[in-house]
Amino acid sequence: MEAPPGPGPHAAASASAAAPLRAPEVARLREEQEKVVTSCQEKIQHWRKVDSDYDALQERLGTLPDKLSYNIMVPFGPFAFMPGKLVHTNEVTVLLGDNWFAKCSAKQAAGLVEHRKEHVRKTIDDLKKVMKNFESRVEFTEDLQKMSDAAGDIVDIREEIKSDFEFKAKHRIAHKPHSKPKTSDVFEADFANDVNSKDSLADKDLWARLEELERQEELLGELDSKPDTVIANGEDTTSSEEEREDQNIGVHVAPQVTDSVTPSSCRVAVTRSGLLSGQTRGQLTCSMNGSDSYHSDEEDDDDGGDGDDGNENVRDAEGAGDNSVPTIYFSHTVEPKRVRINTGKNTTLKFSEKKEEAKRKRKSSGGGGHWAQELPTIRTPADVYRVFVDVVNGEYVPRKSILKSRSREDSVCSDTSESSTADFDDRRGLPRSVSCDEATCSDTSESILEEEQQESHQRKLPPVTGTPEAFSGTVIEKELLSPSFPPHPAMAHPVLSTIPERKEVLSGVAGGSEDAAKRVSKFKAARLQQKN
Amino acid sequence: MPFCETRPENGAELVPTDNSAPHKVDLSSKIKEQKVVVDELSNLKKNRKVYRQQQNSNIFFLADRTEMLSESKNLLDELKKEYQEIENLEKTKIKK
Repeated sequence: MEAPPGPGPHAAASASAAAPLRAPEVARLREEQEKVVTSCQEKIQHWRKVDSDYDALQERLGTLPDKLSYNIMVPFGPFAFMPGKLVHTNEVTVLLGDNWFAKCSAKQAAGLVEHRKEHVRKTIDDLKKVMKNFESRVEFTEDLQKMSDAAGDIVDIREEIKSDFEFKAKHRIAHKPHSKPKTSDVFEADFANDVNSKDSLADKDLWARLEELERQEELLGELDSKPDTVIANGEDTTSSEEEREDQNIGVHVAPQVTDSVTPSSCRVAVTRSGLLSGQTRGQLTCSMNGSDSYHSDEEDDDDGGDGDDGNENVRDAEGAGDNSVPTIYFSHTVEPKRVRINTGKNTTLKFSEKKEEAKRKRKSSGGGGHWAQELPTIRTPADVYRVFVDVVNGEYVPRKSILKSRSREDSVCSDTSESSTADFDDRRGLPRSVSCDEATCSDTSESILEEEQQESHQRKLPPVTGTPEAFSGTVIEKELLSPSFPPHPAMAHPVLSTIPERKEVLSGVAGGSEDAAKRVSKFKAARLQQKN
Repeated sequence: MPFCETRPENGAELVPTDNSAPHKVDLSSKIKEQKVVVDELSNLKKNRKVYRQQQNSNIFFLADRTEMLSESKNLLDELKKEYQEIENLEKTKIKK
């Protein structure tokens, strides 16, 4: 009864109430609570009537046996009666439920009635309790409403939890060390520093600088040897991107480049970076060096022209003079292999040793061309298989399929767990980058290593500016990275990665013919990646 | 045989409830009913039979006319008393 008047004013109040407590909802809550209270009251009423009925019945039963017979009006349907006599006054049938009856005396029936009355009373008590409970609740909600109406005293405090971006990043970083050798850790530290520096530099400035550089390069002759260095930078960035660290590397390189406006200065900067990496002495650096040399070789191959030996020599000389041009080159492919090697068998160890050796050689010789000996020339799809060679017990074993990773074939998969991400990327990259044709040519792949070495010896100084061959490892790079396909740079990296471990082989600077196009494309690619 | 039926208004006692206003209305209607009953009973001829309905059922028990009359009178008095009490309460409340 009280409830009905309550809701009206309450609703009004709720409408005007402060937003924080969502007045309409509170009002509704109160409504529901009041509903419960009223329904409880109704039920109690009903049960009281039942109780009273039982009372009357009990009384009647108590007095019924007092007389032998009663004159009554016998109901004949709801509205008709006929006079009659109630004779068996001490004989009652009790409804037990479900239309079952029990015959008993009036006294027993009275007992049953008593029992039922108890039940009724209990029910009434329960209902009363519920009603009380809800009445108090209604009071509480009323108070709540009043408080909310009073002022903005009550404030909803919420803390938004941001998505786990940071966590992800951390996770990645954490994962890296596991997958890579101890030496890599040092490397990482350097990278981190670089990143910081990068952060300090505005990205925009960086990019602007890069564009400027691009323009300058264009202005300068495309055939200049300098473009090579530029390329090297671009490669560095790409390779770095492939590994997770790459970004760091790229960043590292980039600032230096920005510092030096002229290409020559760029080269110097590059050399510097190479030296730094050399100091770290990590396998990574080694691999990088190797890859650099390899890459240059490859480029030479791509250039394909036979008569460019002189050119190459010149370039090598330049590299030697600069001392670091080769170091700058990073081969994307190298790193994945390296990872595998680290985790894998003893063969891997040998590999790393080789790399180090190559590096030492290079350092001592100042980037001489002799490293190029081991480099494989990719002129036909079959050559691609030479690139993918497993080293078993120090011997080169051709891979049956370049689409499969060595580790899987050999079931030496310890690495998969650790460096799985990098490896996977590489594996995936291979198929993507390498055309199907190469895969088909598996038969040729068997002779890979020896052939490769021989070849490298023979063509120690591959033509730099020669006409492009039908197939070359770098061709893919060109296509993907070339200015005409700016959006694809991401694809390019896998391609680069496919070119494998050969890095030990080579030396310094690669052919300049492709450079102009490559240069621009690499910068763009790097920029795109960074943006991504 | 004409007969008069009276229903015991025991229910009145059962509702000593919280809400005075509705109870009061209820009570007044009951009082009116009871007045009618008393009048009817008192105006019955002596040879009339009076039956009383068993609560919550359709059976009518033959009852004594005079007894019923006195009973209903008593009931009426009680109702009136109750009604008075409620009115007094309300008055006092208003005064306060």
